[in-house]
Amino acid sequence: MKTKTFPGGVHPPTYKEITAHKQIEVFPFPERLVLPLIQHTGAPLEPIVKKGDAVKRGQKIADVDAFVTAPLHASCSGKISSIEEWFHPVRGKCLAIVLENDGSSEEERRNPLPISEIENQQPQFLREWLREGGMVGLGGAAFPTHVKVSPPAGKNIEFLIINGAECEPYLTCDQRLMLEEISKIGIGLRILARASGASRVLVGIEDNKPEVIARWEEFSPHLPLPVEIVPLKTKYPQGSEKHLIRAILNREVPSGGLPLDVGVVVNNVQTTWAIGRMAEEGLPLIDRVITVSGDAIAQPKNLKVPIGSLLEDIIPFCGGVREPLKKVVMGGPMMGIAQVSLSVPVIKGTSGFLFFQSVWEKKEYPCIRCARCVNSCPMNLIPSWLARLSEFEAFEEAKAARALDCIECGACAYQCPAGIPLVQLIKLAKSEIIRSSRKGGD
Amino acid sequence: MAEEELYFSPSPHIKSKTTVPWVMRQVFLALLPAAVGSGYFFGFRYVFPSILISILACLGFETLDCLIFKKPLTIYDGSALVTGMLLGLSLPPGSPFWIALVGSGAAIILGKQMFGGLGQNIFNPALVGRAVLLISWPKAMTTWMARPPFALLPGAEGAEVVTTATPLTINQMNGFPFLQELDPQILKHLFLGQVPGSIGETSVLLLLLGFLYLLWRGVVSWHIPLTFFGGLSLVVLLGGESLFFHLLAGGAIMGGCFMATDYVTSPMTRRGQLIFGLGAGAITGIIRLLGNYPEGVTFGILIMNATVPLLDRILPPQFGGEKR
Ligand code: SF4
Ligand code: SF4
Repeated sequence: MKTKTFPGGVHPPTYKEITAHKQIEVFPFPERLVLPLIQHTGAPLEPIVKKGDAVKRGQKIADVDAFVTAPLHASCSGKISSIEEWFHPVRGKCLAIVLENDGSSEEERRNPLPISEIENQQPQFLREWLREGGMVGLGGAAFPTHVKVSPPAGKNIEFLIINGAECEPYLTCDQRLMLEEISKIGIGLRILARASGASRVLVGIEDNKPEVIARWEEFSPHLPLPVEIVPLKTKYPQGSEKHLIRAILNREVPSGGLPLDVGVVVNNVQTTWAIGRMAEEGLPLIDRVITVSGDAIAQPKNLKVPIGSLLEDIIPFCGGVREPLKKVVMGGPMMGIAQVSLSVPVIKGTSGFLFFQSVWEKKEYPCIRCARCVNSCPMNLIPSWLARLSEFEAFEEAKAARALDCIECGACAYQCPAGIPLVQLIKLAKSEIIRSSRKGGD
Repeated sequence: MAEEELYFSPSPHIKSKTTVPWVMRQVFLALLPAAVGSGYFFGFRYVFPSILISILACLGFETLDCLIFKKPLTIYDGSALVTGMLLGLSLPPGSPFWIALVGSGAAIILGKQMFGGLGQNIFNPALVGRAVLLISWPKAMTTWMARPPFALLPGAEGAEVVTTATPLTINQMNGFPFLQELDPQILKHLFLGQVPGSIGETSVLLLLLGFLYLLWRGVVSWHIPLTFFGGLSLVVLLGGESLFFHLLAGGAIMGGCFMATDYVTSPMTRRGQLIFGLGAGAITGIIRLLGNYPEGVTFGILIMNATVPLLDRILPPQFGGEKR
């Protein structure tokens, strides 16, 4: 198979065999759901319900008057029992709407879209439809989808790339969706193509998923628009937007720019699936598929869960933990976030939960200048140098050495034989640079 | 389990298996064939004391330094082991024991610890040790032994060992044709290692074996060695001397494959590495052809070591270029 890729990157073991062949199971509605008001990149939400309100599944419960945001919907029917501070998988804690499940199946289906009419809809209508459905990127960054497909005046979107790379080890939820529900992905793809105005559609998939590539090859001729399947070399971070574009189109997103600047919009495969499902079923984004894996969970699974499900409820459904549980990570092991509480809810950007019996720490040595970090950095940076500058608080120099280009993929720290927390140090430099430029900016 | 026990740390949450001691072990292993082979070429009692003393003294000096300055003991990182091995292999066979001792002191104390220890030094510690010895005791450092079955034996039938000149010296003084007359199969002997020279530097075959192992293990890349040999070749060809001879003779292979590739003292970017290798190889050639010393590897690499901080400031091309 001829595959495309980008320079740099690393080859961690994929650990995907743990869940790759497990069909998606449906996690039953728990008794309580917790929906944080921060779900995505952009403006935080404000509740439009209050304590004691009864809500239906699919009913809007939070929104805000801003462009870069997406509303939140009740993922089951029930009663708002409180709006309170709750554990958040990314922010530590934040305000959340707590919903008691009443066990009824009352639903509000407002968003169906006639499938045969997709190509006749106005792009602007589709964008609003996406926003109303609360659609955000489900690959992790959770950027509102309607914003992505709205090119600013003067810019054109030529290519739509569907990101099926799923380059993070352990995660297999996207892979399962492509195998089990490709027709919904097909519908989502048509909507995204229409909404963004893209004339060419490409699907990027890593070559460690040959059955997925075969499924696409078989399926794509049935779509009303031409879709190109692009096998990619299995390499981390192949699923990073910038590197997907670099691999598939040989274009580089300018420093500080967006895929839009090179005429591209990238959408994750699960986002595309969720859009297709919203069109078919009329329900907004209220559940998603996650991978539960790692050596400290008894029954690793791919699970369809309502947004707001608590980790402590998901664990028993997966057979409980296998002691000694040392570490829990939300997301993939390369970019995911370690959790301090098992009471965190699934949010829109949750691609999985990983349970580890070991903490994977390396003994720290001084930097031996081995250049492994340099060779693995997909952004052509010198991570060891940036980390050094950060340690010495030389943030201006770090800026000149392009610290802001770092995508925090972790490839450098994964490779470093000296166990240096490179990403942590570079992140620190980045936030200091941004802070001082804000201060100096006005 | 109690939640308070959940371990928090920044991403990434998985790490490669490569560690600093692992890397050092690989380099040490890669040098073993040459070390063992030297016993075969020169006689075990003429080489092993030097190698052993170098290694033990390097570990000892580092321990001492850590004790005196109350630093945590660092010898387990394996770098002193490698320095000791490299230094031992670069000494003349049969050299007095204090040569190895003094060389180790210079390598570890002057070459590494004074700069702040592992990762901080500018110059390759083993080469610093060797350079100090070369300058201070030129005679001891350029007295070469040979023994049967070497072809380059100046009429010494019956003697177990004799002192002689290295092929590089003969080449410099009398020219290559003369050398070829002395030993018509000189290139073959250089390749196998049956020539006078430093303990571990004579056998191209065994050194390349070790180098291939490092390549396979991903410990080194081809960039520095290839450009090193490129730079050397360029100068040799311009000077009109025998290319193969210069690539095989003296410390060229040891220098290009093991000394110039030292992580700490070579550049981190690909571009820097190419310039560094080219420079070190070219300077080696220039010293060999025009200098007083028949061998130029030590100073060729040391000089380029000094340029590394500069070379490291050449950033790789920016992904996506400037903001449009
Ligand atoms: S990988 Fe680690 S030890 Fe190697 S150069 Fe980078 S920071 Fe230094
Ligand atoms: S420096 Fe940033 S972009 Fe480069 S490898 Fe490290 S985390 Fe990734």
